[in-house]
Amino acid sequence: MELARKQVADLLNCDPREIVWTSGATESDNLAIKGIAQFYKGKGKHLITSKIEHKAVLDPCRQLEREGFEVTYLNPLPSGLLDIEEFKSTIREDTILASFMHVNNEIGVIQDLQVIGDICRENKVFFHVDAAQSVGKMPINLTELPVDLMSFSAHKMYGPKGVGILYVRRKPRVRLEAQMHGGGHERGMRSGTLATAPIGGYGRSLQNLGAENQRITALRQRLWDGVADMEEVYLNGSPDQHVPGIVNISFAFVEGESLIMSLPEIALSSGSACTSASLEPSYVLRALGMNDELAHSSLRFSVGRFTTEEDVDGAIEQVRRAVEKLRELSPLWDMYKDGVDLDSIEWAAH
Amino acid sequence: MVGAPACGDVMRLQIKVNAEGIIEDAKFKTYGCGSAIASSSLLTEWVKGRTLDDAAQIKNTEIAEELALPPVKIHCSVLAEDAIKAAVEDYRKKLAAQA
Repeated sequence: MELARKQVADLLNCDPREIVWTSGATESDNLAIKGIAQFYKGKGKHLITSKIEHKAVLDPCRQLEREGFEVTYLNPLPSGLLDIEEFKSTIREDTILASFMHVNNEIGVIQDLQVIGDICRENKVFFHVDAAQSVGKMPINLTELPVDLMSFSAHKMYGPKGVGILYVRRKPRVRLEAQMHGGGHERGMRSGTLATAPIGGYGRSLQNLGAENQRITALRQRLWDGVADMEEVYLNGSPDQHVPGIVNISFAFVEGESLIMSLPEIALSSGSACTSASLEPSYVLRALGMNDELAHSSLRFSVGRFTTEEDVDGAIEQVRRAVEKLRELSPLWDMYKDGVDLDSIEWAAH
Repeated sequence: MVGAPACGDVMRLQIKVNAEGIIEDAKFKTYGCGSAIASSSLLTEWVKGRTLDDAAQIKNTEIAEELALPPVKIHCSVLAEDAIKAAVEDYRKKLAAQA
């Protein structure tokens, strides 16, 4: 287990003593956000995050609001990137923590941790990063990056489920109120016996991480190129600051869930996988300023280690066929083809 | 046409009515989830051969039961009920305008 701790620390270029094992990124996010808020509540009661964060960040923030903390939820720019000037102007005397995700799980957009972290340092605000979608997918150097806390989980990088990591900076020291008490394991931050087998397996799996980004980037481009010539199809999120593995596409006039049902051979989601039980369109896409209709018409594809060119080509063919079929069925597509402006119609919301 | 794009479903229903006031044919186009499309399709099957009054009596609960819709999808069957009611009303309005 200590070997695995060293292996994770090497991946992030940090000290093994800065690595805290948890059960997953959700627990890491909870420990970081509630732990900071409760430990430093004497210093201030204000936190800043964004509207496109994962629920594992948003829900602990909501809980802290119930406990008397104040949280500002910033709207991102339409590209998905944080509005740096707005962030600066939101920081107050009593702001104790800023929490922003490194890579968004629905649109794949990468935030600039250096710029955000520098602002946090200048203002003496702790900086927590949910990096569940980025660790293992892109180089991260915590010796250089001004990040105080970083959450992620093993299974998002081909490790086993049930292992999470919270990085907690030692210099300058960051302190946390433990959320799990009972023996003072993990330097008092997270009590409880650890799952040694999955942790050891995770450490071992890190040796296989490697040069697949180029291949995955090519697959992502192949997928988008395969559908980009269709009418009224949009690629969501900043095309420049983007991880290779996630492609979010809107197919206007086709509802996302019916499209998923027409594609039984492809595993994908409308909205994030974690909120697919809800009928609401993606809160992430809506926060980018997208209208409800287009948000309802969006799908998230991911490509990874086990995706082949044949898989992508097959997906393109199936998607094109399904979109055409559903558009044949769609009254909105008819209206679009007839030149009717859908915004000009008074719809009866129900 | 009933529904709204922002809510994630829109249904257009067309009915062909004969001189005796019986629905001879019905066609739909639907933007929506699988349950909304299935509700639309079932509705068109059910209204064929019915009188206008009879068709307007179709309840969303019957559609939901026939399709075994889960609770979160009940609103899809409501859309179908709204659609046939709106279509019958529209037909009667047009008939009155002609007279």
